[in-house]
Amino acid sequence: MSDLVQVNNLCVDYITFGGRVRAVDDVSFSIKKGEILGLAGESGCGKSTIAFALMRLHRPPALISEGEILFDGKDILDFSDEELRKFRWADTSMVFQSAMSCLNPVKTIESQFYDIFEAHNVVSTKEEGAERAKELLQIVDIPPERLYDYPHQFSGGMRQRVVIAMALALKPKLLIMDEPTTALDVVVQREILQKVYELKEEFGFSVLFITHDLSLMVEFCDRIGIMYSGKLVEVAPSKEILGKPQHPYSFGLGNSFPTLHGELQEMIGIPGSPLDLNHVPDGCRFAERCFNASEQCRTDEPQLRNDEARGWVACHHPLAIDFRELQDAPCSELN
Amino acid sequence: MRYIFTRLGFYFLAFLFAVTINFFLPRMMPGDPISSFLGRLAQSGGQITPETIAALEALYGYSTSVPLWQQFIGYLQSIMVGEWGVSTRFFQPVIEVLGRGTQWTLLLVGGYLLISYTLTTFLGIYVAWKRGTWADSLITVGSVVISSIPAVVMALLLYFAFASNLGWFPTGYAYDPALDPAYTWEFVSSVLYHLALPMIAMVLLGMGNVMGMRSNMINQLGEDFIVMGWAKGVRDRKVMFSYGARNAILPMITSFAMSVGAIFGGSLIIEIIFNYPGLGQVMFQAMLARDYPLIQGYLLMMTIMVLSANFIADMLLFALDPRLRTALD
Repeated sequence: MSDLVQVNNLCVDYITFGGRVRAVDDVSFSIKKGEILGLAGESGCGKSTIAFALMRLHRPPALISEGEILFDGKDILDFSDEELRKFRWADTSMVFQSAMSCLNPVKTIESQFYDIFEAHNVVSTKEEGAERAKELLQIVDIPPERLYDYPHQFSGGMRQRVVIAMALALKPKLLIMDEPTTALDVVVQREILQKVYELKEEFGFSVLFITHDLSLMVEFCDRIGIMYSGKLVEVAPSKEILGKPQHPYSFGLGNSFPTLHGELQEMIGIPGSPLDLNHVPDGCRFAERCFNASEQCRTDEPQLRNDEARGWVACHHPLAIDFRELQDAPCSELN
Repeated sequence: MRYIFTRLGFYFLAFLFAVTINFFLPRMMPGDPISSFLGRLAQSGGQITPETIAALEALYGYSTSVPLWQQFIGYLQSIMVGEWGVSTRFFQPVIEVLGRGTQWTLLLVGGYLLISYTLTTFLGIYVAWKRGTWADSLITVGSVVISSIPAVVMALLLYFAFASNLGWFPTGYAYDPALDPAYTWEFVSSVLYHLALPMIAMVLLGMGNVMGMRSNMINQLGEDFIVMGWAKGVRDRKVMFSYGARNAILPMITSFAMSVGAIFGGSLIIEIIFNYPGLGQVMFQAMLARDYPLIQGYLLMMTIMVLSANFIADMLLFALDPRLRTALD
């Protein structure tokens, strides 16, 4: 499979009164065609910032300061305003973190669908737009006659599905889902992801999936990237990331979830709190909280590099534990 | 539909309440119009006979011999049939005197609302969209400075400079007294020419609304559906109006409904200074002459106008906000 998206050395800065804060620092990754890539990490680690960067949605005081984002070989950072407008939604669409408030409260669903079609010149009449919108609503199991309702007449889960239907409206090549299910209960959550998975199989788009929910992610994604304080620290196939974590932070994240089966264990978690991006240390950003940190970690920043044997990890002392061999491993039942 | 009737019912109750206060308040104050009139009559050496008192009581619809509640019923009846008493200043039925003033006040205030709200809404949208640019700073600071000038000062300055000194605008009246009211261009242009300066004064004083609209719009621009609008590839102009401004005007309508009383109050000062024959001018003369029936009639007229404006604002919100529509119908 070839790469659909190739992100190279991406940096996103927020301009504050205290100077520039680098929210995403030198991040590189790729998404293959038809692949689901997950991004996980604590709040404020830069996951959503990356998602916004992929559609160039950042507004001042945030800006993409360095790097390139190649989409189908073209750098979207070089796009003119009009090229960018046409690129958005047609090539990459997004289900926002807060899909509940993503719909314009004073417009009907029909007219919000029509705005998409009109902006990209894909339909010539309102009737044609309504027809296509009805088909899309059916895909996400919403009765087509609800098309003429206003957003407030839908429940939270339905609104979420409406937004997903909208995101699929132009059959994009990449669908970004930024914590699409955080506001929903687990049953609805599962239904929606199941649906997205089926659609992905059908239409063959790629997905960038962002969430805090590691166990959900492990089930849904092909590969997972773990982020810490604006850095991508590990990328691995989802089967391996919890079972055989190499970065101590990935290990800590995996340990922060209780097991459903087996004996009760003491939760280890990660000591300390996330890094203040105003004061970035010289060495590894995770060194302060790491149980495995050495002198080298505090002075020398590890780079994310591809090791033949290990895969992508940014750590001087990658771990070599394999939980999958242990019976009562924290996340063994997930694999 | 049900909502509209509920609102109408509410406004009728509010009207009754205002009328009740309007009736009892003057009667609870020390002194009454008849004794004050008799006092002045006695000072000027006039003859006071029981017939004089009876005639005055008939004129004012006020009597010491009839119980208060009966007077109140009588008052309510006479209001409903349009008999608002006789003005002691103009010696004409109150309703006629007020009618003359009302047309000019409605023209002034109505025109003001139209121009000011259109102007400030668009300016607010524009500066919110261009937030942080020099145009934003200029318009925002300018509108705050201008609207902070007290109405009296603003009106006097404009009057002194452009009407009295430079003579660009007339110094009074609603139209050239030499003309006969008719729907001719000559008459209409004269009306507009006389309306211009007081209108400019009011529009300038209302420039503060730019700030309100600006902050509403900025709030809306931070909403997720705006970002989603951009992400959808919707053109900027459409995001600005159909996603941003369309939502930002809703609180503006509410704030209009709340400030409509103050707007009529503000027009009072403007009318007096520009010698514009609206309701404010009538009220001013009525107060100077202690013309009780006229003052009472004026308050009643204000009540009707403020309640009507609120009703219009209600209906506008009802039409523009689908959430309100489904919640209430």
